[in-house]
Amino acid sequence: MSTVMKTTRDVKGIGLSIPRPDGPDKVTGQVQYVADLNPRGLLHAKLLRSPHAHAKIVRIDVSRARALPGVRAVLTAADIPVLKKKAPTRAHAVLAIDRVVFAGQPVAAVAADEPAIAEEALDLIDVQYEVLPVAADPLESMKPGAPPVAELGTEADTSEAQAHGSVAGVTTEVKSSKAVNISQQARLQRGDVAKAFAESDVVIENTYRVPMVHQGYLEPHAVLAQWDTAGNLTLWASTQGSFNTRSEVADVLELPENRIKVIPMECGGGFGGKIRALCEPITAVLARATNRPVRYVMTRREELEAGMPAPQVIIKLKTGVKRDGTLMALEAEAILESGAFSGAVLAVAGVFLASLYLWPHFDVKGFEVLTHKPSIAAYRAPVAPQTIFAIDSQMEQIARKLGVDPVEFRLRHLQREGDKMANNQPWLSNGGVEVLTRLAEHPFWKKRAEWKASAKDGKLRGTGLSLGGWLGGLQPTGATVRLNPDGTLQVLTGQVDIAGTNIALAQIAATAYGVDIDKVKITTGDTDVAPLTGLSAGSKTTYTVGVAVMQAAQNARNQTLEIAAKELEASVHDLEIDGDRVVVRGVPDKGVTLASIGKKGNLYMSKVEPVLGASHPAFSVQAPAFCGQLARIEVDPDTGEVTLHNFVVVQDVGKAINPAQIEGQMQGGAVQSLGMALTEALMYDDKARLTNPSLLDYRKLTAADLPNIETIIVEKPAPHGPFGARGVGEPPIVPAPAAIANAIEDATGVRLTHLPLSPERIALAIASAS
Amino acid sequence: MRRFELVLPGSLDECVKALAQAPADSKLLAGGTDLLPQLKNGLLKPACVIDLSGIPRLRSIEAGNGQGLRVGSAVTARTLELDRAVRANYLSLAESGALVGSVQVRNLATLGGNICNAAPSADMAPPLLALDAEAVITGPKGERRVPIAAFFTGVRRTVLAPDELLVELAIPNPGSHSGGSYLRHTPRRELDIAVVGVASQLTLANGRCAKARIALAAVAPVPVRATAAEQALEGQAVTPDLIKRAADLAVEAARPISDQRGSADFRRHLVRVLTRRTLTTALARAGA
Repeated sequence: MSTVMKTTRDVKGIGLSIPRPDGPDKVTGQVQYVADLNPRGLLHAKLLRSPHAHAKIVRIDVSRARALPGVRAVLTAADIPVLKKKAPTRAHAVLAIDRVVFAGQPVAAVAADEPAIAEEALDLIDVQYEVLPVAADPLESMKPGAPPVAELGTEADTSEAQAHGSVAGVTTEVKSSKAVNISQQARLQRGDVAKAFAESDVVIENTYRVPMVHQGYLEPHAVLAQWDTAGNLTLWASTQGSFNTRSEVADVLELPENRIKVIPMECGGGFGGKIRALCEPITAVLARATNRPVRYVMTRREELEAGMPAPQVIIKLKTGVKRDGTLMALEAEAILESGAFSGAVLAVAGVFLASLYLWPHFDVKGFEVLTHKPSIAAYRAPVAPQTIFAIDSQMEQIARKLGVDPVEFRLRHLQREGDKMANNQPWLSNGGVEVLTRLAEHPFWKKRAEWKASAKDGKLRGTGLSLGGWLGGLQPTGATVRLNPDGTLQVLTGQVDIAGTNIALAQIAATAYGVDIDKVKITTGDTDVAPLTGLSAGSKTTYTVGVAVMQAAQNARNQTLEIAAKELEASVHDLEIDGDRVVVRGVPDKGVTLASIGKKGNLYMSKVEPVLGASHPAFSVQAPAFCGQLARIEVDPDTGEVTLHNFVVVQDVGKAINPAQIEGQMQGGAVQSLGMALTEALMYDDKARLTNPSLLDYRKLTAADLPNIETIIVEKPAPHGPFGARGVGEPPIVPAPAAIANAIEDATGVRLTHLPLSPERIALAIASAS
Repeated sequence: MRRFELVLPGSLDECVKALAQAPADSKLLAGGTDLLPQLKNGLLKPACVIDLSGIPRLRSIEAGNGQGLRVGSAVTARTLELDRAVRANYLSLAESGALVGSVQVRNLATLGGNICNAAPSADMAPPLLALDAEAVITGPKGERRVPIAAFFTGVRRTVLAPDELLVELAIPNPGSHSGGSYLRHTPRRELDIAVVGVASQLTLANGRCAKARIALAAVAPVPVRATAAEQALEGQAVTPDLIKRAADLAVEAARPISDQRGSADFRRHLVRVLTRRTLTTALARAGA
């Protein structure tokens, strides 16, 4: 895989900033999303959701709702025999059976002729609840005697961690007997921590806290379901993985997978929030109950109240170092609040805390804790921004305390290839050192003292940087490459394009086959026709599907050359593809067009086999990818307002297949990272009800808040990536929280450990410090 | 959004008649930037919505002969932000208009909507209080005028009866030796709601403060005046020290709560900071 393809001439393929062909249709509103479909007889679904975070359902009366004209179905759990009480995932908990476990949990579903009629029907459903005690705070919820969240005997869900494929070798135990809401525990240990702390000169202890945050995709969850008379279900879905959606829906509804066709529609963002099934099962059930196509589109309020956000992460972190800067010991307790259903990637937290910098002695305990809140899912590099916020903030503080250069201090202790991670796996080839070194060469870093001194009008200025990354996901996949009768190429995968990956895959096919990109078309097929493939998650689409496409294209090229060799009575080794022809090297007149080869593969009575390149690889080697970010800020010490003046993103991408798309990923990731750093938080009251269920009070940053984001690409080839490429999607969401916290300390002298770094936290910390 | 009947009156009289006939939970629609999200989220389910867009009088601004300003209730935030007459003598009101939502929101959102929604955080309320505006209200019994300070009766509650509507705001001309300023704090630069908003208006005579007005938003159920701070300023030469003292006094007028937008402590802190800043700006503008 590592060998770079030898083509006999340069083709327009990898390395070029080719715009996404779907871009113009998207920005002009011509692309059809699920919400735009309008099949004949379409019904609209709405869900009645619990206002209580924890309550017994005493009685549900749907008779008045069913009587409303225009209502075609009103369902409760009693109408769906496949539902089981010990639902292992949110997808299985289609409707609450006799107990609701978070505010916003669906208890009844309506399908009606119009959305407004469905909403009116919700008003007519009478539910009698008996409100129960609530576990709203993870630190309380993990104690014995807390109100239980899951039904006793429900299994922990570790499939999310597996999906991201990022961490092996961490012992994860499930359940302690008394603390009923601790659903997973993990522990990573090495050396003698107590002794190493005793020998340390500088011990720093902090508790870092990152609230639940929402992925904030533009398009809410949406699905359209329709059954045919033979009992086949078609789902038009907004999903990050159509095969995963198919498997989950099949499992929940107890259907064979080949009875379900998932058609992945254009996905208006997912960021991890559209991996797991959510509203697909209930929509399918409503469609079956009504014998009509049924569509469900979540509202923004429902997304915030009952989506699948990132977990709250609380990290108690204690580190000890020698006065000369030698790292001695790290002790950490990471608590991941998963809401009402298990599913956090607990092991990632442990590995990043103890492996990014090399601690000879460490003891990291991880707990996944359930509370009466919506259950969580992945969010772009799940748990990495939270963990890096803690460990990088800590490294910065140690460096300041020791009076050493913070970059040199990090570089001295940063992992290198071959070093042992906390789970005893070796660090694989990565560009961590190169990224941090490149960032530190930036004039904004070199001139940070000048920036600080330039503050005026009562404002304060500072600079901060941070390094983070992602270990990289893996999943088997497949692709085919066909030669068409006119000599063009057709690439087919089942991979959903959520990030501009299809153009990158097409570029890989072009270079691997040996034709220009304008000869290549790529299609994402539905689950009936496409090769089985994995999720668009874990920064692995280009890394894994890229390999499949590259191999399929090489395979198609070899088939093409073999056909040409027979025609030309030449050796395959003497042939090359030149433009739209296969020619004998050195004899440019002797050749055959790709179109003629393609045509013969589809000619009546032809004996020439059609060219069909295929590849279906599985993988075992990850490609860690690092990103460094730098913020130059100004703080108003009276109001706590932070102005971002400049932001720099440096990232190791292995090989930039499409630099413009990568820069877009780097900028988009940085914006989400800055949102986590500065403004975003899902806020709950003591009854576990969301107090900011709108985008007014759940503050994503707007263009007005953001500075120019400079992107610098570093290329340290990944040995097993297609043409050396690494995953690029997740790393840029990781570093900003620590970079901003470090910049705030540089500007104000105040160290903040709770996100978001809001004006209130900054202003009150400054006021109490002075 | 639930189904509702939409009424489109073509004049103020027609609107008053429509209101009289409509159910008590009917809603008036001006810009809709507050009403529509509430309808969509099912927080309001009125059977009838009366659209004010067909009534030209509600969209007029009249600045006549030094008599003051009359601003129709359906004048948009964007118009307030840009209108020359408003900017000339009522700058704090223009500044409050300029802070609402985003440009797209400001092209729809109206002065009357901002006031009649009666959110404690309404940006246009503090400048109106600081400018001693009066609300001109009409209904089946004719027109009445209410000082803006008495217009708000609670969170999302006003003196308007179900059959009345706000026609315009009448604002006296503060004169040439007067200056005003409105500032608010939001965590985000735009598309946000004031955690605290402060409007100050200072009128000078013979080097002293003849009249001071300080009004606060989002620190009580209704917008409030900081009268003790005003009194400390009136009759005095306004110095930085006096401004600092007035800012401390303004804090005492605040009765903030802690909510998802900010704690009570932070709100008191902001009242001090923003009062100091708006007074400093108002003083400079009054002198200029």
